Amino acid sequence: MYPPPPTLPRAALNAGAAASAPPAPKSSRGPMIRACLLPPAQAIPALRALLLLALVLGASLAGSLARAEESADLRAAIAALAKGSFAETEKRIAALAALGDARAVPALEALAGGDLYRREADGAVFIARSAGGGYRLTEPLSLQDVGTAGRREVKKIRVNNRLRRTIRAALGALTLSASDPARRLAAAKAILKTRDGEAVEALDQALARETDPQVAAVMQAARAAAVLASDRSAEEKSAAIDLLAARGDREAMAIVASIATAGDAPLAAQAKAAVARMERSQALWDVARNIWYGLSLGSVLLLAAIGLAITFGVMGVINMAHGEMVMLGAYTAFMVQGLFGALAPGLIDYALVVALPAAFLVTGLVGIAIERGVIRFLHARPLETLLATWGVSLILQQGVRTLFGPTNREVGSPSFMSGAFELGQLTITYNRLWILVFSLTLFAALIAAMRKTRFGLTIRAVTQNRRMAASMGIRTPLVDALTFGLGSGIAGIAGVALSQIDNVSPNLGQSYIIDSFMVVVFGGVGNLWGTLLGAMSLGIANKFLEPFAGAVLAKILVLVFLILFIQKRPRGLFALKGRAVEA
Amino acid sequence: MPHHAPPTMPGQPDPHRHDTLLYLDGVSVAFDGFQALNNLSMVVARTEMRAVIGPNGAGKTTMMDVITGKTRPDSGTLRFGETIDLTRHDEADIAGFGIGRKFQKPTVFESHTVEDNLALALKGRRGPFAALFHVTGDDERQRIDDLLSLIRLAHLRAAPAGGLSHGQKQWLEIGMLLAQDPQLLLIDEPAAGMTDAETAATAELLRDIARTHSVVVVEHDMAFVRALDVKVTVLHEGSVLAEGSLDHVSANRKVIDVYLGR
Amino acid sequence: MTRRFFTHGMTRGSWVFLALLAAAGVLVPALNLGLPAGHPLHMPTYAVTLSGKYLTYALLALALDLVWGYCGILSLGHAAFFALGGYAMGMYLMRQIGPRGVYGDPLLPDFMVFLDWQELPWYWLGFDAFPVALAMALVVPGLLAFVFGWFAFRARVGGVYLSIITQAMTYALLLAFFRNDMGFGGNNGLTDFKEILGFDLQSDATRAGLFAASALALGLAFVLCVAITSSRLGKVLVAVRDAESRTRFLGYRVEHYKLFVWTVSAMMAGLAGALYVPQVGIINPGEFAPANSIEAVIWVAIGGRGTLVGPVLGAGLVNFAKSWFTAALPELWLFALGALFIAVTLFLPKGLVGSLPRLWANATSARSKAPPDARTKAPAAAE
Ligand SMILES: Nc1ncnc2c1ncn2[C@@H]1O[C@H](COP(=O)(O)OP(=O)(O)OP(=O)(O)O)[C@@H](O)[C@H]1O
Ligand SMILES: [Mg+2]
Repeated sequence: MYPPPPTLPRAALNAGAAASAPPAPKSSRGPMIRACLLPPAQAIPALRALLLLALVLGASLAGSLARAEESADLRAAIAALAKGSFAETEKRIAALAALGDARAVPALEALAGGDLYRREADGAVFIARSAGGGYRLTEPLSLQDVGTAGRREVKKIRVNNRLRRTIRAALGALTLSASDPARRLAAAKAILKTRDGEAVEALDQALARETDPQVAAVMQAARAAAVLASDRSAEEKSAAIDLLAARGDREAMAIVASIATAGDAPLAAQAKAAVARMERSQALWDVARNIWYGLSLGSVLLLAAIGLAITFGVMGVINMAHGEMVMLGAYTAFMVQGLFGALAPGLIDYALVVALPAAFLVTGLVGIAIERGVIRFLHARPLETLLATWGVSLILQQGVRTLFGPTNREVGSPSFMSGAFELGQLTITYNRLWILVFSLTLFAALIAAMRKTRFGLTIRAVTQNRRMAASMGIRTPLVDALTFGLGSGIAGIAGVALSQIDNVSPNLGQSYIIDSFMVVVFGGVGNLWGTLLGAMSLGIANKFLEPFAGAVLAKILVLVFLILFIQKRPRGLFALKGRAVEA
Repeated sequence: MPHHAPPTMPGQPDPHRHDTLLYLDGVSVAFDGFQALNNLSMVVARTEMRAVIGPNGAGKTTMMDVITGKTRPDSGTLRFGETIDLTRHDEADIAGFGIGRKFQKPTVFESHTVEDNLALALKGRRGPFAALFHVTGDDERQRIDDLLSLIRLAHLRAAPAGGLSHGQKQWLEIGMLLAQDPQLLLIDEPAAGMTDAETAATAELLRDIARTHSVVVVEHDMAFVRALDVKVTVLHEGSVLAEGSLDHVSANRKVIDVYLGR
Repeated sequence: MTRRFFTHGMTRGSWVFLALLAAAGVLVPALNLGLPAGHPLHMPTYAVTLSGKYLTYALLALALDLVWGYCGILSLGHAAFFALGGYAMGMYLMRQIGPRGVYGDPLLPDFMVFLDWQELPWYWLGFDAFPVALAMALVVPGLLAFVFGWFAFRARVGGVYLSIITQAMTYALLLAFFRNDMGFGGNNGLTDFKEILGFDLQSDATRAGLFAASALALGLAFVLCVAITSSRLGKVLVAVRDAESRTRFLGYRVEHYKLFVWTVSAMMAGLAGALYVPQVGIINPGEFAPANSIEAVIWVAIGGRGTLVGPVLGAGLVNFAKSWFTAALPELWLFALGALFIAVTLFLPKGLVGSLPRLWANATSARSKAPPDARTKAPAAAE
């Protein structure tokens, strides 16, 4: 009969969760570097990932004819690895690294792992893995499977520890010198994670070449981490600690903390002090993060409540179908996007922009219809209004369910709303940022409309003293209908925005209705600024509670707090006073 | 929830005169910056009747709100009897002490019968359990009968009060006030909506009551005030403008300017 | 004295209602148990259980009417009291399962074994005794209502504000009971009951017995409501509903009256929940859904608030319609329910029982001058 019980406001609960999960690292350079440091047995899965990556890289490069010649050079350089003494091999590795071609990486990896083999028959070099009685061979450049070989047909290319170190350095240098800054960044981050003491030189070289300041900064940090892991002088290490301390993120803190416990006395003391400093700054960043998530949740609450601040706050109409106005707005966005998809797929990014006025119109008209059809007959009977509008909400929900089906609908994000950026140690996703900006803009527009326009003045006149307004020639029924339409329309606009972060389903509105009322009542009925402050402070309170209590319990605590708060101040934070309120 | 008997302790030393029942000193109330009562002081003695007049918005109703606990004063002293500080109590307490009130806009329980309205107002224990197990006794029934004939609504005793005319509601509310049998009666514009004959009867009734009770009456109807023939307090902008007999205050220049006109 | 207290308010209508209820309480079990399955008058067991469920809904509606119809407190959270009573009974039924659960633990209910709990949480102790569970089904909702009401009524939270925070209350409980670590079975709630007081819950006789118990509980609650509403206290409640502030100026402590009736009502709702759970065989957090509370409000509204027979009638009618719709035209049920909300508030503000006599009177005698009833008017502010 009713939607399944867990009608938790998904967006409200997830607001932070979604924002808090930073986008998964796009590059898988991490495993690659780690693979060099791990014993061969553990390196296998990492290698596999690496192969995959290399395949992708290879495919992207394969089309280039111009590079065919280079390939030949590279192939020759790789083949050369199979010949000569350890000392000669070391030189050849350096030569290979000097080519600066990342395609050499798999071969070097295999060499370090003892997986690079030479075919006795023609001296060709392969990455081999034992299979059955023999080996399965992979061409080290194209990474294509080239069949199998018997145990006696191929011979392992032997390396010693000294060579392994050289290979590692070469690998680091190769990726650190990649032409794509994102790959260089990933390589530097990987070193930062693995704290490879051997990588210092490679990093020094890379730093000398590096032009991108962001990459350079990470390289610096990686270098400091490497220095700390190496056997360099205490002064250098001390400088490294300072550099990491200045960076101050969790990773740097972990590195310095390991020195604090394991390093020798003076360094350990320095590290300890640095950790303490970093912890303090971490705490501040945590606060900042909670505030950001809180503002993000607050903006969702504001969006949900802002229409209600008009219909309930200003007009005093208890509209239980408010959530359904939001829901209708979201479905309008879905429809408009479908229309764009069919007629003008190239302009799909603008669908959302067009959906805003469309939603305002649709829900505004529905709102006016509700006001004219139901609410006006229940004037000054708030409890009855509550029940009747609840009935309206059931009908709207079921109507949408019948038309669009009960399942979730997808409203895509325009390109400018996807992705994220870093602000210090905060990861800020664009869609959350846009929603915050949008909610504030909508709010400002509403305030301006109420303050500055004639219509706003009329609304205030009617709501403050209906009879007086009527006697001054204001057509109060019309104003009522339009005001209700305005509140509903704004709810619809909010629905468009919320379609970006929540499931668009017939139950969408249900999940917001209680939150919206709480926000409006908390902020103070009839006070738009109170609604803003109420939404933001409830959002922030929720997010500050979450680390201690978990998402659900935090929400429960906030609800309980609100229930108690309303008892203390039944008229909200910013109560209007006066006789009008008492009536 | 025991019924509060007014704690009058005759033997105690008393800074004020023994027969002071209501004592207001320097009472001020502001609504959003608007000063509705401004340093208002007034003393009502036991079994005194006082008429309060003043222009619209002078603060007459607000004064009653403050006395009955509906509005909290921002500052000032409010004492009932010798010891009770009214600012520390709420409406129900204050009613329990023996202060009854008739509202400017007659307010009765519309879906109750006239008889039930009076029964609810009858002096007695006010707690929920007392009410749950209450059995109407003969004396109560007798008292209701008396009141019904006094307010001339005996023929409508079983009718819902919502159907009464404005004047009948005024009478019913006066009847409820009498049923409470308070020490102090605050009566806001009793004559509004009454015929001249009824107004005269009301004045008569109030004079009668004042023999054993203290009464404060607010009224704009000067004929009615004259008929009461008591000391008059003129309020203006939240404070006392003049006090004395009606003739005395009507001669006051300021009163003429702000209220009575020429 | 006591007898007088319970009977002095009984009207002829009340007696008729009680007689009908008693007849149903005897007849339904008799038609189910006494007649063979093929007999045309035989009442199938599912119908007995369904009617028993309606009776518990009727009891919930009666409880709601006591606060809304008589005191003007529109609760959108009565489902919370109902569900709490249900959980108390569910806990008893869980413990009656004993070692017959899937995991065969002699003490712990299955879901606790599943969560790897080692011992029974303290608040589950004692629930193996029926009297304790029944008492808790009354005490827990009553206590919650008392505490909630204590704060709310003292702070003079009223009207829609109160409605909204009651809704928030049941919503918060909904969220809380979804949590596994609350120890009430989380999402799945409590189910797989075996027996009550030693009787097999699946047997026809037990079901008939539960029906009779529900009828008895409804009857007793009805008598209690008649006694309350016809007493001086009942008159004060109506006075509060119509002119709260005026009532205060007469010296009544409105908050005490509200608290009294609110708590009694919550306990009645709890009892309804306790009778509901063994008949439907499950209790889960979904029972806390705010929508359930609001649906109960419409039962009262359509039957006629401020009358005692109305809510019972409304609960029966609406739920019968719901059963029928959800079987025949499931798509249309919410449309019908929504339309019902609108139609009742617009056209039948006093409900069936409140409006019919008037319509009847108008139709039969033109000279009946029914005095205007102020019940539906906005309460006049005492000023
Ligand atoms: N609760 C309130 N909020 C805001 N203003 C109020 C409130 N109560 C009273 N006032 C203002 O205080 C002033 C005094 O009002 P009050 O009702 O006491 O006047 P009054 O002397 O009784 O007038 P009237 O003769 O018209 O009844 C008025 O201007 C009124 O608007
Ligand atoms: Mg006045």
